[in-house]
Amino acid sequence: MIDLIPRYWYNIVPDLNRPLPPPLDPEDSDFSRIELLNRIIPKEVLRQQFTAERYVKIPDEVIELYSLAGRPTPLMRAKRLEELLDTPAKIYFKYEGATHSGSHKINTAIPQAYFAREEGVERVVTETGAGQWGTAVALSAALMKIKSTIFMVRVSYEQKPGRKTVMKLYGAEVYPSPSEITEYGKNELAKNSANPGSLGIAMSEAIEYVIKNDYRYLIGSVLEVVLLHQSIIGLEAIKQFEFIGEEPEVLIGCVGGGSNFAGFAYPFIGSKIGSRYIAVSSSEIKKFSKGVYEYDFPDSAGLLPMLKMITLGKDYVPPPIYSGGLRYHGLAPTLSLMIKDKIIEWMEFSEKETYSAAKLFANAQGIIPAPESAHAISAAIKIAKEAKEKNEKKIIAFNLSGHGLLDLSYYQKMEAK
Amino acid sequence: MIMKKLLVSYITLGYPNENDYLKFVKDADDLGTDIFELGYPPNFAKYDGPLIRRSYLKVKSMYKNFSELISRTRKITRKKIIVLTYLENIQNNLDEFLGTIKSSGADGVLLPDLLIDFPENYFKYLNRISEKGLDTVIFVSPFVPDKIISDVYKFSSPFLYYGVRPTTGIVTPVNISSLLKRLKNLTDSRVVVGFGLKGLEEIKEALSAGADGIAIGSAYVEAFENNGLSSALDVVKRVRCILDDF
Repeated sequence: MIDLIPRYWYNIVPDLNRPLPPPLDPEDSDFSRIELLNRIIPKEVLRQQFTAERYVKIPDEVIELYSLAGRPTPLMRAKRLEELLDTPAKIYFKYEGATHSGSHKINTAIPQAYFAREEGVERVVTETGAGQWGTAVALSAALMKIKSTIFMVRVSYEQKPGRKTVMKLYGAEVYPSPSEITEYGKNELAKNSANPGSLGIAMSEAIEYVIKNDYRYLIGSVLEVVLLHQSIIGLEAIKQFEFIGEEPEVLIGCVGGGSNFAGFAYPFIGSKIGSRYIAVSSSEIKKFSKGVYEYDFPDSAGLLPMLKMITLGKDYVPPPIYSGGLRYHGLAPTLSLMIKDKIIEWMEFSEKETYSAAKLFANAQGIIPAPESAHAISAAIKIAKEAKEKNEKKIIAFNLSGHGLLDLSYYQKMEAK
Repeated sequence: MIMKKLLVSYITLGYPNENDYLKFVKDADDLGTDIFELGYPPNFAKYDGPLIRRSYLKVKSMYKNFSELISRTRKITRKKIIVLTYLENIQNNLDEFLGTIKSSGADGVLLPDLLIDFPENYFKYLNRISEKGLDTVIFVSPFVPDKIISDVYKFSSPFLYYGVRPTTGIVTPVNISSLLKRLKNLTDSRVVVGFGLKGLEEIKEALSAGADGIAIGSAYVEAFENNGLSSALDVVKRVRCILDDF
């Protein structure tokens, strides 16, 4: 099975239609945030962020750990869902929930923790929204025998005690964000003691903590290097589709910062497989319908360089919906560029619609999806219904980025409605 | 025939004062600069690092007429003069700007935002620049896709500028050899490498990997800031020495 794991990650930058606007320092800057990255991010991770190589070799130890953590993940056909929808379309999904951390996040957490350990870092720090990223970092740090600290968005910390327990079991220190641990957190709490938190705030706390203590920060999404590592999903899926002799036409993924969608879809785009690529977000967040394509900070504190991306503004505090992974103001620059150029389409679904989709999927296929991933399911169902109306034998593939077994409080709440 | 490796010296127009600026150009010419790149202050030098930005701020408060400085530069050097500025600032009076710098003695322009911020119509701008009798040095980076590089490199003269880092004067980890190898596969232009090259070792690495020349800018500004003119000229000497060893 390990043979199915690719030996190289895929970087889409050399294959874009136009140049990617580079990260930049704001005009009124009295220091260089680009320079500051050297003190925040492990060196090799930063090198990969700015590479122009189309294929980047995966270290052997990372491949072994991918295997340990559950890769390759299965590509499955949702045949019962097709039957329930009475659609002529075929629906496939790549099941990233089959990894030990329960989501795709492990695909970049392992190499980032690996490169951190290689340069002698004793502790890695990050933020987490829904908890999937924090879990992946905690597990990866444990595998590398280094320590980890996780700032968890307060609303998720309170709603998802299971996630917290898993991270602690893997040996992580977990703080609700905004926290009293950092100056940034203290200020946020002083302004609003009931602040539910956001990924942007938690990210700012993690970065401050790293700079103060000379630890290293692991980044969960948005930066190109994360999308590079996540390409393992699509590269595996291409091989799996070849094996079964099918070629998907529509590729779908949900979008917070953009890494699971990009990881799944970019290798297909690069290989010119498929004709529609659909990124899905939440209609409570409205990233696509209200977001603007401009330079903005990826973190609320503005400690990182500005990126040209679709953004709701760094100070945007999203409503406390349960799909914590989608509660982020920005979007990966390459993905933003391709959405702007209409190479990638977008859709938005409400919490109610995604709950129905999740329930239908769980009953048809037996897997309880993460609420974030249920957005991708919603889009797949929509396309499958359109195929039925037009009587088209479309092949649809979506990335089921994680399972929802630690999101049961969400399902309880929705059941009660 | 082995071509001589190019030394492209960047200096912000009139920096740090007119006297030292003109002395720098004259001596840097004598010490082996092949091409001068003169920074014409834009409103916001967004793709430049803090050193170059500071130099722009300084000169903006000192001079009103930068074309006049180009004319004075022309009088003291016969080397090619490439004016670096941002298209964003001059697009509305492009022909006038190009006409003025041409008559002041400039040979070409380098617009770092051309491919990045004007992806739909950069060919139109390349034509307009060429109609004015000026060369364009095209700026490419690891952020520029292969297809675009293949489409544009032949329009870049007298060399293609490769910025290996995200911004000038700031060091981030990059693999210069692999970046250059990729670029050299896409182009047969002469490639000059710049943007954040740090130290003589990196210059050697770039040359070993096939760079046809090196662009130095922030290092001069830093030397000027720390120890003045003679220190900036020392940088010219040291880099020329390495280039001549190849």
